[in-house]
Amino acid sequence: MPRIVLDEVGITYTIRFAHRVSFKEVLVRSFKRGANPGPTRVEALKGVTLNIEKGERVGMIGRNGAGKSSLLKLMAGVYTPTTGTRTVEGSIGSLFDISLGFEPDATGRENIAYRSYLQGETPKTLKPKFNDIASFSELGEFLDVPVRNYSAGMVTRLAFAISTAIEPDVLLIDEVFSAGDAGFQRKAHQRMRDMIGQAGIVVMISHDMNTIKQFCDRVIWLSDGRVHRDGPAHEVIDEFTEYFANEPPAPAAEAA
Amino acid sequence: MQQYISDIWKLRYFWFSLVQIDLRNRYRRSVLGLGWSLLQPIAFSVVICAVFHTVFHQDIRDFGPFLICGLSCWNFIAAVTLQGSLSFFQGEHYIRQLPTPMAIYPLRTVLAAAVHFLLALGIAIVAAFLLRGLPNPWALFSLLPSVFLLLLLGWAIATLAGLMSLQFMDTQHLAEVGLQLVFYASPIIYPPDLARGRALQWVFSYNPVAIFLSLIREPIMDGTVPSMATYGSAVLIVATMTALAMAALARMEKKVVFYL
Repeated sequence: MPRIVLDEVGITYTIRFAHRVSFKEVLVRSFKRGANPGPTRVEALKGVTLNIEKGERVGMIGRNGAGKSSLLKLMAGVYTPTTGTRTVEGSIGSLFDISLGFEPDATGRENIAYRSYLQGETPKTLKPKFNDIASFSELGEFLDVPVRNYSAGMVTRLAFAISTAIEPDVLLIDEVFSAGDAGFQRKAHQRMRDMIGQAGIVVMISHDMNTIKQFCDRVIWLSDGRVHRDGPAHEVIDEFTEYFANEPPAPAAEAA
Repeated sequence: MQQYISDIWKLRYFWFSLVQIDLRNRYRRSVLGLGWSLLQPIAFSVVICAVFHTVFHQDIRDFGPFLICGLSCWNFIAAVTLQGSLSFFQGEHYIRQLPTPMAIYPLRTVLAAAVHFLLALGIAIVAAFLLRGLPNPWALFSLLPSVFLLLLLGWAIATLAGLMSLQFMDTQHLAEVGLQLVFYASPIIYPPDLARGRALQWVFSYNPVAIFLSLIREPIMDGTVPSMATYGSAVLIVATMTALAMAALARMEKKVVFYL
């Protein structure tokens, strides 16, 4: 039974310095005591408690830097909670930053193979899927060309074809609804709908409220690393849009 | 621990194909391909041989194989240190996307370097055979545990270098300087009789690299199986380094993603 249980989860990490330390800085800093900015502590999530059961379709909304991506990465197991506990039952499939993580010098074909292995396939299980992935990407003879020479759209198509060739119990999605040109987008949307339909649990992040409304029955509004509201999709979204309609636009938000 | 190793095993096709890609990419579009990694130690040996032959009247029959053996071993250690310091950065995108055991990224570095090491070792054996005949081919079997020890050492070094450079940007440059010092403080290019009785010999006797050089050289050059004392010291060094690397990895495993 797929299930996500988060109990008082917090993630804190230190950014030593804005950039990595160099020897010169270490040297200079040891002489100039007052000028030491020290490590910056970032509290990405604070005491998040959630319970997501089988069948739920959950949308996560909030401003940039509210902790949406951190929470999704925590569910995926990429981030480990600093405090509290995380329990996720069932196989996890994550769709975020899918266009990254290609070996640029390897061909499309090679990239399909090892990305699939990363997702837990073996040569035996990949074999029947390989042609589906290849034809879904519509790359044809470009599959034998190094990914370095692909256009951005081609990379996205390949990434989408590979990443969606899984049937996870728990599906985690971070803004992957726009892939490729108009024709491919229609196909991609259909694929997403199928995946969302088949998965036991879906958690998605989107800034597009229509997408959230279309797929989700429950919405979590994150603000400043905490759960601000958690409830039926329409209620939370209405409250969210109303809140920002009255609020004057804030200065440029910090990084997501 | 057992769970961790089984996780690494589950992903074997992933890191194995990354190693393949690394090897293929390095020589993509090059005429000689993998031949370059064979040519480099040979060319270097020929140059040094010529110099030492002229200046110190070294016998090439002895000195040539001595040098190639030493270089093959040293190049491996240098490669795992330098490339190891980049290993986590190289895997950044995977680390950010999926939970994977961190040990596989230094492993990828080591396995690619190991292929070059084994090729160079093959050349060393062939060179020794051509120049002086192999005194005792059976002694070559003692290379198997030695190579295994070196691979384990390579993983430990790559892991430690990788974890260090996550926190300290200068690791790679520091390693470059450090390697150069160690290179000249190790019996790699010095003919054995030249070092005898000098301060160098004192340095060599406390240099851990010297132990691994003997492990490789003695069976190929002298046809003897290295002494138990040599094996013992090597095992001790490898065990210590591996324990250090595992402890450091256990501490950092879950934090690596925040340092990228």
